[in-house]
Amino acid sequence: MSSLRRPSARVQLAAVFRKEVRQTVRDRRMMFMLIAAPLLQTVVFGFAADFTVDRIPTVVLDQDGTDVSRLHARRLLADGTLRRVGDVEGPAAADAELDAGRAAAAVILPRRLAADLAAGRPAEVQVVLDGTDPNRSVVAGATAAQYFGQVGERMSREKLSAAGIAPPAQLVLTPRISYNPTVVSPPYMVPGIAALLLLVVTTIVTAMGLAREREMGTLEQVMVTPIRPTVLLFGKIAPYVVFGFVDVMLLVVVGTWLFGVPIRGPLPVLVTGTLLYLLTTLGVGLLISTISATQQQSFLAGFLFMMPAVLLSGVMSPIRSMPGWLQAITWVNPVRHYAEVMRSCLLRGAGFADLAVPMAALAIIGGVVFAAAVLRFRTRLG
Amino acid sequence: MRERGGQILGSERLRRSLIRVGAMAGKETLHILRDPRTLYLALVMPVLMLFLFGYGVSFDLDRIPVAISDLDRTEASRALVRTVTGSHELVSAGEADAAEADRLFRRGRVAAMLVIPSQYGEKLARRERVSLQLLVDGSDVVVANQVLSKADALVRAETRRLASVELAGPGAAAAPLQVKLWTRYNPASLSALFMVPGLAAYILAITAVLLTALTVAGEWERGSMEQLFASPVGRLEIMLGKLAPYLALGMLELLLVVAFGAAVFDVPVRGSLTLFLVIGFFFLVGMLGQGLLISILTKNQLVATQAGTISSLLPSLLLSGMVFPVENMPWPLQLLSRVIPARYLVHALRGILLKGNGLAALWPDLLAVAVFAVLIVAFSAARFPRRLA
Repeated sequence: MSSLRRPSARVQLAAVFRKEVRQTVRDRRMMFMLIAAPLLQTVVFGFAADFTVDRIPTVVLDQDGTDVSRLHARRLLADGTLRRVGDVEGPAAADAELDAGRAAAAVILPRRLAADLAAGRPAEVQVVLDGTDPNRSVVAGATAAQYFGQVGERMSREKLSAAGIAPPAQLVLTPRISYNPTVVSPPYMVPGIAALLLLVVTTIVTAMGLAREREMGTLEQVMVTPIRPTVLLFGKIAPYVVFGFVDVMLLVVVGTWLFGVPIRGPLPVLVTGTLLYLLTTLGVGLLISTISATQQQSFLAGFLFMMPAVLLSGVMSPIRSMPGWLQAITWVNPVRHYAEVMRSCLLRGAGFADLAVPMAALAIIGGVVFAAAVLRFRTRLG
Repeated sequence: MRERGGQILGSERLRRSLIRVGAMAGKETLHILRDPRTLYLALVMPVLMLFLFGYGVSFDLDRIPVAISDLDRTEASRALVRTVTGSHELVSAGEADAAEADRLFRRGRVAAMLVIPSQYGEKLARRERVSLQLLVDGSDVVVANQVLSKADALVRAETRRLASVELAGPGAAAAPLQVKLWTRYNPASLSALFMVPGLAAYILAITAVLLTALTVAGEWERGSMEQLFASPVGRLEIMLGKLAPYLALGMLELLLVVAFGAAVFDVPVRGSLTLFLVIGFFFLVGMLGQGLLISILTKNQLVATQAGTISSLLPSLLLSGMVFPVENMPWPLQLLSRVIPARYLVHALRGILLKGNGLAALWPDLLAVAVFAVLIVAFSAARFPRRLA
C-alpha cells in the first residue's frame, strides 16, 4: 500500500518544479518574455539612457560684427557642446528660433564688444536659454559662462602684466576620475537596469501567473491533489529564481561585451545580492497575487509597486537630489539597495565589507516580505 | 425587428448602429464600475506618478559630500576649504588621507576628494600657479559631472577672491567681460516643469495600451468574445464600444495630470487648452488602437502585457525624450523614436504648456499622432477576426 502514501515533500516539490519548468519552456512566448525581452531592453536602455548633453542647437546674434566678436563666437562653439545652427539678425528673431524649438540657446554679442574690450570698459554678453529641459539649459549656460569667464580672466592678467604688476596666484583644478575615466553613462546605467528588469521578470510574471491560474480554476484543481500549499508555492517560484539568475548573468555578459561594463568585484557578492533581491521581488509577486482577483488587477498592482520602486531607486536620477523625506523612504526600497550592490561591485570592485549596509537591508526587506507572502498564500489556499 | 438591411434608411441604420455601440460601451463601463479596483488604480496611478516624478526625479544636486585631504594645513589652505565647502553645493565630509579615497568611494560615502598639496600657502605667496587635485568617483555619471563643474567654478571663485585681496586697488576692478544668462520658459530650471508634460504622455500610453490590451485579451481568454460574435453587434461596433469608456478614462487622466501639475508644481498652461485636448485625443485613439491590435494578435493577457510593455511602456519612457534627450541617442534609436507617438506628444505638450506654442509650431506633431491613430485603428480593424477559427 506504499503507493497510496502521500509522497514526501521533496518529491512533491520536484514534481511541481518540473511541471512549472516544462510549462514555461514549452511556451515559446513565455521564454521570449523571460529571456529575449530583458536582453532587448538592456540594449535599448543602455543606448537610450544617456545623460550626456552636447551638440545643443545654438543661434548667434552678432551685433558687433567685428573680427573679435566673430572669433569669440567661433571659439565658444568649438568644443561641440554648443552647435551653431544659424545666425539671426535681431533679438526678436532669436526669440522666434527658441519658440519654434529650432534652437535651445541664443548667444547675443553686444554692439561695440571689440571696442569696449580694447578700451577696458566692462562688456556684457547675453545668453538666452530654452529652459524647457533644465539639464540642457544648465549645461549650455555653464559652457558659455566658463568660456567667457576664462577670456575675462586672461584679459585682466594681461592688463596687469602690461601695467608692470605681477599677476596674482592662479589655482588650477586637475581632476582624476576613478572607475569610469571618460564619464560615460552605460557602465553606470546597465547594472542599474538589471534591478529593473528582474522586477518585471519575477514580480509581474509571478503575480500574473498565479492570478491566471486562479482565473482559470487550475489552482483549485491542484489544491485537491495531496500537494501541500507551501510545497506548491516553493515549487512554483523556484523556476523563477533560476530564470532570474540566468537573466542577470546574460545581462552582465551583454553589458561587458556591448557597453564595456567592468567586472571588478567578487562574483559571490553579485550572487548573494541577487538571491536576496529575488526573495523580495518574488515575495511581492506572491503578495499581489493574493490580493487581486484577475490578471488585469495583478498587473496594475504590480505596476503600482514597480513605478515608485523604480523612480525612487537612484537608477534613473540620483537619490541625493531628492528631498530629505523622500530620501528616507528610499531606505525600504529593495531596488535601491540592489542597484547599489550591482553598481558598487561591478564598477568600484566593492566586496562584502563595503556593501554590508545594502546587503543587510536587502536581507531584512526580503525576509519580511517573503514571510508575509507565504503566510497570506497559505491562508488563502487553506 | 427582422427587417432586411436594404429596407432601412441609412440614417436609421446609423442610429441603430450607434445604439449598439452605446450598449457595448455601457456594458464595458459596467465592467469597469463593478470592479472599482481597476478604476481606482487607473485614477490613483497618475496622481501617484505625478508626485513621484515631480519630487523624485530631479537632477539638481546640492550638498554633495566631498572629503578633504589638506597636506598644507595653513591659513591659506583653510581659506580654500572654506570657499569650496562653504557653499551649499559641496559640503565637507571630513578630513581623509588620499589613500583612503578608494575605500570611501566603494562605500558610497563621498563623491570626490579634494587634495591640497603641501606648500600650497607658500606657492600662493610667491604668486605661482598651483595645481589642486580632485579625485572623483566617476561611476555615478550625473554626480561626477556636477562635482566637476561645481568644483571648477568654486576654485575659480577662490582665484578671483585671492586676486581681489592681493590687488586691493586699481587692479581689483570688476571682470571686464560678464555673461548674463536669461533662461526662458523655466527660469528656475525646475525638473518638475520638464517632467510633468512628459509624464502625461507616459501615463496615457500605459493606461490606454495596457488596459485595452488586457481587457480585450481577457474576453478572448474567457471565451466571451464568442458570445459577442453571436450577437447582432458588428465588428466595428464591438471595437468602438470597447474603446469608448477607455477613451473617456484617458481624457480624464490627461486633465487630472495637468490640473495636479498646475496646482502642486506650478506647471503653467501658456498655450491653447483646445489644441492640448485635440492632440491628446488623437494620441489616445492611437494608443487604444495599439492596445486593441496587441490583444487581437496575442489573445492572452500575460503575453499582451509583455507586448504592451515592450511596444509602448518602455519606448514612451526611453525614446520619447521624456527623460533622456533624443538628440543625443545613436541614429538607429533616433530613427526608431520617429515611429513612437509619445515622442510627438511629449514635444507638443511641452510646447503648449511651457512655451505657449500654437498650431503653427505644432502641426507636425498633430499630424504625426493623427496619422498613427488612423493607421493603427485601420490595421486593427483589418486584423479583427471575422469569425471564430
